[in-house]
Amino acid sequence: MEFVNLILGLLSLLIILFTSPLFAGFINKQKAMLTGRMGPVIWQPYHDLRRLIRKESIYAESASFISRVAPVISFVTVAVAAMMIPIGYTIPLIHFKGDIVLFVYLLGLSRFFQILGAMDIGSSFEGMGAAREATFSVFAEPIYFFTLGSLAFVTGFTSFWDVFHNINLSNPSFIIFIIVCTISAFIMMITECSRMPVDDPNTHLELTMIHEVMILDNAGFDLFLYQYTATIKLMIYGSFLICFLNPFGLSNHALGYVIFAVLTVILSSVIAWVETMTSRFKMKNIPQYLLFAAAIGILNLLIYSFMK
Amino acid sequence: MILIAGFIIQLLSAGLSVALKIQRRQSALVHGMFAAGLLVSVCGTAWMLLGHAPDISLPDFISADPLSLFFLFVIQLVSLPIVIYSYSYTLPYLENRQSVKPFLIFFLNGVFFTQTVVIVQHAVLFLVCWEFMALTSYLAMVFEKEKPEVQKGSWMYLVMTHISVLFLYVFFLSLYAATGSWLFTDYLREPLAYSGYHYLLIIGFIGFGIKAGFMPFHFWLPQAHPVAPTVLSAFLSGIIIKLGIYGILRMLFMIPPAGAAAGWIILGISMFSAIFGVWYALAQHDLKKLLAYHSIENIGIIGIGIGMTALGMAHHQPSLTALGMAGALLHTLNHAVFKTLLFIGSGVIYQKCHTRDIEKLGGIVHAAPVFVMLFVIGSVAISGLPPLNGFISEFIIYLSFFETAAVIPSFYPLFMLIMTVGLAFVGGLAVICFTKINSVMFLGLPRTERPALSGDRFVYAAMGFLAFMCVFIGLYPESVMALIRSVLAVNDWSIPPDYGDIFSSMRWVFLSVVLFMAGAVFMRYFLLKIRPGRVSKAWACGYRRLNPRMQYTASSYADEMNSLAARFLLYRKNEDTPKRLFPEPSRLESHTGDFGEDTLARPLYKVITRIILSLEWLNRTDIRYYVACILIILVVYTWIAFLWNL
Repeated sequence: MEFVNLILGLLSLLIILFTSPLFAGFINKQKAMLTGRMGPVIWQPYHDLRRLIRKESIYAESASFISRVAPVISFVTVAVAAMMIPIGYTIPLIHFKGDIVLFVYLLGLSRFFQILGAMDIGSSFEGMGAAREATFSVFAEPIYFFTLGSLAFVTGFTSFWDVFHNINLSNPSFIIFIIVCTISAFIMMITECSRMPVDDPNTHLELTMIHEVMILDNAGFDLFLYQYTATIKLMIYGSFLICFLNPFGLSNHALGYVIFAVLTVILSSVIAWVETMTSRFKMKNIPQYLLFAAAIGILNLLIYSFMK
Repeated sequence: MILIAGFIIQLLSAGLSVALKIQRRQSALVHGMFAAGLLVSVCGTAWMLLGHAPDISLPDFISADPLSLFFLFVIQLVSLPIVIYSYSYTLPYLENRQSVKPFLIFFLNGVFFTQTVVIVQHAVLFLVCWEFMALTSYLAMVFEKEKPEVQKGSWMYLVMTHISVLFLYVFFLSLYAATGSWLFTDYLREPLAYSGYHYLLIIGFIGFGIKAGFMPFHFWLPQAHPVAPTVLSAFLSGIIIKLGIYGILRMLFMIPPAGAAAGWIILGISMFSAIFGVWYALAQHDLKKLLAYHSIENIGIIGIGIGMTALGMAHHQPSLTALGMAGALLHTLNHAVFKTLLFIGSGVIYQKCHTRDIEKLGGIVHAAPVFVMLFVIGSVAISGLPPLNGFISEFIIYLSFFETAAVIPSFYPLFMLIMTVGLAFVGGLAVICFTKINSVMFLGLPRTERPALSGDRFVYAAMGFLAFMCVFIGLYPESVMALIRSVLAVNDWSIPPDYGDIFSSMRWVFLSVVLFMAGAVFMRYFLLKIRPGRVSKAWACGYRRLNPRMQYTASSYADEMNSLAARFLLYRKNEDTPKRLFPEPSRLESHTGDFGEDTLARPLYKVITRIILSLEWLNRTDIRYYVACILIILVVYTWIAFLWNL
């Protein structure tokens, strides 16, 4: 049984690592179709990534060893964080009491080095992107703890696997709780993964970007690592959100994977729809947007503690 | 025995610093001997802390209980690299034929007396040692006394440290009045039959809190740290403020638990200190001032652990008490380690680049990559990121929040959630702050002419040792947890056994992170060997090349976050933005005040000054007049004392 769990845990990790570009491609395809274009094939992110691997790395004159190390560290930490996410009904590779804290701090480490890597060039474009990334993530972390932390307090467990495993849908107040949590977590995903309406991944003006402007001076393999890290991060947060919505308590692995796949498709449509319908916020208004998500988190726990 | 031998070596070398005429060779001798003494005694302390009883009997007023020993261990472990760095710090002065003797005498004696403070168990002796510690560090601080800023900052330190001592006098005298004993062990033995002990707790907390730097008593730290010689700022921030923490913990054990209210008050003050300490830090441009504000943040985090301990004691939950205490003690050690590392780094930068203003630095990484790497390790650790030591202690504090929510129902989960979010917010702010200073100081292009920064081997030895400790405690927290367990065991508290597994599973995660990182970095290096990357110009939006003035500044990096709390940070911006069609000179500068100093201390000071000035009519030139005044006051006192006893 131990061995089977290990294999299934590895399988979850591989699913995250290998299907994450597909998830991104699927969102892009749907976005294109919603705006009446044909759009690229859904395999396009794989092609993009393969092209980037083949290209040579170019470093700016002012770049130091930080630029060479940062993409690698950023990728490794996100990959380790991916080992904590339960997919379907499998026990993740890493689970212990309190791993929800480790998860968010690992992503913090990734961000720390990504910011250093951006600032290494000494260009104000990267500086601007890094400053925005740092500022907005300060608000995203409280949202994380307001959603997952409140779930942890409510269920009494502090590990991803135990929390999601012990969500009890027979209690009606729990359903309201989950719905509100989902909204907060969705906003957090949008912020952390630099999607609309916080950041526009397809813009062409350096001044209006966040994530893209941080990697402006990276090329080749380094750029591949950054882009791949970004898709994995999107997939991690997506699965995280799906875990909220998949609390059926099934012990059937195959069915678990099917439900996971279905919910992934639905989630990608929701993201595509949101990105089509909204435009990017003014940078000045983003903290308000994030504070809104944090505030409904507080409200959520209040509701729960009164209805319990 | 080993410990005592260590103390004797330390005393001898401190004596030598008085006796010898300090030249380069003598300085090496004194520093080397003192460091050897510290090394010997730190081994002795760790040995005793692991449960070996001292083999000679000690008098009543000196005790070796595990809490004292733990703080002794922290002091000795961290003083060791500071003393090694001190040799390198004093070298340029010796080469310029300046005397470093006063500094050396006061600094070494300061280190010695700081150690005595934690092992003395007698109230009067405690106050004497405390005063010695404060005075020697003040005298070492005024090393460069000809500078007006040094006079101002050290004066602030002297005044605040004496206000703190004033509260401590009241605290210990009331304890004596209530119990009739000066010994700490007597306070422990019987519960205090004194109705006013709530007030006593408050007085003690203010007294020790001033020393520790809790908000709103924090404002001496950012004044004193920048002006002190770097050796001493490292010592102040790494160790002396921790004695305030020691005092508060001692007090919590001496006085019966004051109920959950005390815990909540400590938690509130600590959370406030943590959030605004780091927020103030974010707005600073002076490197040492910034690090001083970070000490306030970390004292806040330690205070959160103490608050959880107090809550656990009030609710009789030994598991909770143990977790809170373990978090507080471990963070005390961790903060001492990484803050000292960062301060030594700041000292090297100041000595080589002659500025503490981070906006004037830049591009240091090209000159000194190893130095930058060590500084980055310290920064990652202080931001509480895995896999280094800062994460472990913050993680234990998070666990104590979760534990509280599980064992104490009612409104506790809600407040614990808010504490969790608060701590996460502090972590996020620390990440901004340390990415800011690392990138502005080290990366990019030099903003002024390229500094020829390099440390000598003593600097690298000291910083390397501390960086190694950061990594070691991060990967093997059990090594230090064994010491902390023996502190907890005295009060029959123990961390629940299932928490032991957390550290072992976390170590596997950390080891895998480190191994993956090392493997990936190595692979990247290998790939670059096969197909070397090309070096080209950075994208400058059509300009020919970047120039140093086009870089993002620390002010702009932190501006958005600071503007959010502008009112509280007293954050002011002077900006001239272009208003007409054509480009014209524009600028932005930002300044912060300090809430504690500008809105609390200064008005209070003004009121006191006014009261004193209103008594000016008493001031005469005739000495007989003063003698008469003294006589009248004495008579009044005697009468009061007489009536009191009636």
